[in-house]
Amino acid sequence: MSKESQTASFLLRFTQKIFEDEHGESNVQWRGKISHVQGNDQKNFSELKEAMDFIQSKLSEMTLASISNDKSDEEKEGILNKSLDMWKKLSSNYPKLVVDAIKDPKGQVTQLQEQISSKAEQITNRLDLESLRPTSKSDFNSLSEQISDLTAVLKKLQKKVDKIDKKIGKS
Amino acid sequence: MIQYDDGHIQALMDAKDKADLKVSTLGQFHLVLDDNPVPDNWGRDKAIQLFQFFLISRNRLALHKEQIIDRLWDESGSDQVFKVALHGINKTIEPNKKSRGQTRFIQRQGATYKLDMSKIWLDSQALESYIEIGNHVKGMNNELAIIAFQLAINLYKGPFLPNRIYEDWTTTERERIQIFTLGAYISLAELLLEEQPNESIRLTEEALNIDPTWEEAYRIQMAAHIANGNRPQAIRTYKRCVDVLDKEFGIAPLPKTVGLFESFIG
Repeated sequence: MSKESQTASFLLRFTQKIFEDEHGESNVQWRGKISHVQGNDQKNFSELKEAMDFIQSKLSEMTLASISNDKSDEEKEGILNKSLDMWKKLSSNYPKLVVDAIKDPKGQVTQLQEQISSKAEQITNRLDLESLRPTSKSDFNSLSEQISDLTAVLKKLQKKVDKIDKKIGKS
Repeated sequence: MIQYDDGHIQALMDAKDKADLKVSTLGQFHLVLDDNPVPDNWGRDKAIQLFQFFLISRNRLALHKEQIIDRLWDESGSDQVFKVALHGINKTIEPNKKSRGQTRFIQRQGATYKLDMSKIWLDSQALESYIEIGNHVKGMNNELAIIAFQLAINLYKGPFLPNRIYEDWTTTERERIQIFTLGAYISLAELLLEEQPNESIRLTEEALNIDPTWEEAYRIQMAAHIANGNRPQAIRTYKRCVDVLDKEFGIAPLPKTVGLFESFIG
């Protein structure tokens, strides 16, 4: 794969703990683990921000590794700043996306679909939202598969955005 | 709801004996065809990737060629790459197939492909089936649950396709199997706690090797040390749990774990 086009994949695991405290009140605790697939690196976390920081550090590493040595320090800094800016925009929305996905998977898929529809007219295979009723195991599996497909589409979309960015940068 | 019994365990064991192709994916990737180890005739790695992708996608509807190329190889894929990879699979697992002859393991309909799992035994699938039986009968037929969990754990030789840990199309399956396996270790350790505390300790240690933050494993291990009359070791396990949770999450153990600790130090 060329250095201009690289992929970083992350896997998030949440473990829910429901327990009673010393006053007999029910509490919920989330324990998370994020894994960077291509680097086989992982981190446990109890707050989502830690996971976001982990992603940011891996993306920065990837950007730095992709910048060829023949570029000036100024150019390198510019590319890194652009990468960080893009991540800041993304990460300011992602905690909400993740929390919403846990609360309301169908609503979250709708939101994602709206975002994609507005950004990429090329995408023709839209989700059949009425079929996404996560009330049974098979529905849930179907939903998982469609989210997986959606993720692949998002990756493609990201690449297109990157290409457009480069063209704009050149002109 | 299925009522599981010994017959289901036996059927799963028989399925392995009857299968034409036996595939190991846990800890290593290895194939046995008609009782003979399959030699490495894949040609190129993309053929192995394609076969492994078919395995991962076994529960889905048949996959379209374009979809496979897209998910597996992205920009480095093409019709030609797919064709060469498929040829590599056929050469390896169907060495006696005549050109244009019927395939034994890969079902093709137009441009869609799928493995015929009725002829294939897959270790990760068998592991999942044993765990399913164990989970269903636990509490009702613990003897059967113990057998089922033991059979599942015996199959777990390591992570799913360990040589593919850097490739994201394998991640979901690896994570899924790991979570199932952790659950099996914990369930079996719990079931053996009173009669075989040492085995319980070993099983929880195996679970903690997979995930050192699995708090339930510490709890069962503490109880097993107490059942052995080894209070100092139970205290050491608790302290290890406290240290790991603090280091990894910055949190204290759950009240249930603290309560167990207090019950034997008080």
